[in-house]
Amino acid sequence: MSSTYILVAGDARISALVAAAPGATTAVVVGTRAVADAVATSGVGSVVWLGEPGDAPLEAFAGPVADLVAAAAPDVVLASTRPADRVLAGAVAARLGAPVHTMASKVEVHDGAAEVTRAVFGGIARQTLRTAGPVVVVVDGGTLGEGGSAPVEEVAAAPAPTVRVVETRAAERTQVDLGRAQRIVAVGRGLKAQEDVAVVEGLAAVLGAETACSRPLAEGVGWFTKDRYVGVTGQHVQPDLYVALGISGQLQHTVGARAAGTVVAVNTDASCPYFAEADYCVVGDLYAIAGALTDALR
Amino acid sequence: MKIAVAYKWAPNPQDAAVGADGSVDWSRAKPAVSEYDPVAVEVGRRLADATGAELVGLSVGGPDVASPMAKKAALSRGLDSAVVVADDALAGAGTTPTGRALAALVQRLGDVDLVLTGDSSVDAGAQMVPAVLAGALGWPALTDVVAVSGTAGDLTVERAHAGGSQVLHVTGPVVLAVAADAVVPRVPGMKDILSAGKKPTEEVPLADLAGWQTAPVEVVATAGPELKVRKGQVIDGADPAAAVTALVAALRADGVL
Ligand SMILES: Cc1cc2nc3c(=O)[nH]c(=O)nc-3n(C[C@H](O)[C@H](O)[C@H](O)COP(=O)(O)OP(=O)(O)OC[C@H]3O[C@@H](n4cnc5c(N)ncnc54)[C@H](O)[C@@H]3O)c2cc1C
Ligand SMILES: Nc1ncnc2c1ncn2[C@@H]1O[C@H](COP(=O)(O)O)[C@@H](O)[C@H]1O
Repeated sequence: MSSTYILVAGDARISALVAAAPGATTAVVVGTRAVADAVATSGVGSVVWLGEPGDAPLEAFAGPVADLVAAAAPDVVLASTRPADRVLAGAVAARLGAPVHTMASKVEVHDGAAEVTRAVFGGIARQTLRTAGPVVVVVDGGTLGEGGSAPVEEVAAAPAPTVRVVETRAAERTQVDLGRAQRIVAVGRGLKAQEDVAVVEGLAAVLGAETACSRPLAEGVGWFTKDRYVGVTGQHVQPDLYVALGISGQLQHTVGARAAGTVVAVNTDASCPYFAEADYCVVGDLYAIAGALTDALR
Repeated sequence: MKIAVAYKWAPNPQDAAVGADGSVDWSRAKPAVSEYDPVAVEVGRRLADATGAELVGLSVGGPDVASPMAKKAALSRGLDSAVVVADDALAGAGTTPTGRALAALVQRLGDVDLVLTGDSSVDAGAQMVPAVLAGALGWPALTDVVAVSGTAGDLTVERAHAGGSQVLHVTGPVVLAVAADAVVPRVPGMKDILSAGKKPTEEVPLADLAGWQTAPVEVVATAGPELKVRKGQVIDGADPAAAVTALVAALRADGVL
C-alpha cells in the first residue's frame, strides 16, 4: 500500500491535504503540542510531533523533518502553501531529490509511481506528471479536519541553532478565511485612494460578502491585509459570487477565483482581460457601479 | 565576503499562447528578470553597501540566461557581478533541480553566508525554490522578509508573520526570500545599463555542478486550463442605474441573488 507524509508547521488546518492523500497517512508536526493534538483528530493515521519549538522559528526544524521523511521513504509528501510549511516541503524535496508540484488537483500512486495532475505556469495549462519515486505536493491546506484520534508520538528534534525569534508582533487586523466565503467583493488598482475602501466595504455589507483584493492592494500600499489578496500566490477562493471591481484580470489574479460560481467584472476598459473570464462584464466606473449596486440592494 | 541574489530570467505566461490540448507556445512571450527579483537585488545592494560585501547575482536556466541582454538586465539592477549556468538541460527545469543547481552554484562560489531570493517567479510562481535551495545547502530559510540588517553571521531579520510581524536573529548562513513589497527597487537608468556591460560575469558549465538532477518527470497528459464556461455578457455602465438594474435582474434570474 502507498504511504503519504503530511508536513504541518504550526497550523492544523489540513483538511484538503488529508482528502488528497493517497494511502496510509502520517503527519509530521512542527509546533506546539496543541497543534499536534488538533492534527491527530483531523483524519490522519498517525502523528509524529517534533517537540515544543520554544523560541526557534518553525522553519528551523526543516533539517530534522527532512531526515525523518527520508528515513520513512513515503510515496507522496504533502504540505500546505503556508510559509513555514513550504520551507519544510522544500527541504524534504531537496533531500529526496523529489519534484515539487504546486497547484495540484489530483495525486495518485500507481505501482510505486506518483501521478500528479496540476495546473502549470500559473494556470495557463494542465499536465499530468508521472515520477517513479516520491513527489512533494504543495497545495492549499484547507480547513480544520475532523475524524479519528490518531496516536501522537513525540520524537524530540533539535532545530537549527542559528535562528531565533526575538520578537513577535501580533496581527493588527483580524485574519479572514476567504476560502469559505460564499460571496466576495474584490477590488484592484482601479481604486484610487485608501479611504475609498469604504465603497467596497459598503457593497460587501449589503451583499453579505467578504472583501478581497488584487495583490498590489495588499502589498506596498497595504490597504488590505495580505490574507485578503486572491491569486496564484494568494488565496484560492470558490464563492458563489465573485465581484471584481477595477481588476484588470491578469492570469496571476484570475487563477485564484476560477472556481467561483458567477463572476461579475466591473472595468472602465472594455478590452480588459478579466472580461474573457467573467459572466457579467460591466463596462463602467467602479465607483458609480458599486454605488448604484449598493443602493439597489439596500 | 559575498551576498548572493538568485534571479530568474523568465517570460510571463500571460503572454504565452496555449492550445486547446494544453500545448504551450512561448515564442511570443519575451523573457525578463522575473518581476519580484529586483526587490531582492535592491535589498542585497543596500546590505552590501552597508557592510562592504560584494553582491553576486546567480541564475540558472536555458541558454538565454547567458545572453548579453539577460546579463545586462540583471546587472543594471545593482549587482556587482553575475554567475550563471545556461544549459538546455536546465531550460524550464522544475523547482527541485533549479534549487539544487543554485545550491551547487552557491557552494562553488564560496564565501557566501547569505542568499537572497525573490518571493515568487513569474512563470512557475511556486514560492518554493528558496526552500529547496536552503534544504540542499542544509541552511535555514525564512520567507516574507521585509527588512534585513547587520552582517552575515549576525543578522537581524524582520518578516511578515501571520498578519503581524516577527523579528529574528540569525547567527549562521541563511536563505532569505524577500517579500515583494520589502523595498521599491530602483529603475535602472542609462548609466546603470551602460556600466552593466562592463561588470564581470561568469558562465559555469553545468558539468561543474554535482547532484542537481532529480528523478525524471514524465508528462503523461496535457490539457488546457480548467476554465468554467462564462456567459461573457457585456453590460454598458454609462448609465450606472440602468446597468445595475440589468445586472441585478440577471443575477436574480441566475439564482445568485
Ligand atoms: C510571481 C507573481 C505572482 C503574482 N501573484 C498575484 C496574485 O496572487 N494575485 C494578484 O492579484 N496578482 C498577482 N500578481 C500580480 C499580477 O500579475 C498583476 O500585476 C495584478 O493582479 C494586477 O492588479 P490589478 O488588476 O489590481 O491592477 P492593474 O493591472 O493595474 O489593473 C487595474 C484595472 O483597473 C481598471 N480601472 C481603473 N480605473 C477604474 C475605474 N474607475 N473603474 C473601473 N475600473 C478601473 C483599469 O482599466 C485596469 O484594468 C503576481 C505577479 C507575479 C509576477
Ligand atoms: N532559475 C532560477 N535561477 C535563479 N533564481 C531562481 C530561479 N528560479 C527561481 N529562482 C528564485 O526563487 C524565487 C522563487 O521562485 P519560484 O519558487 O519559482 O516561485 C525567485 O523569485 C528567484 O529569486
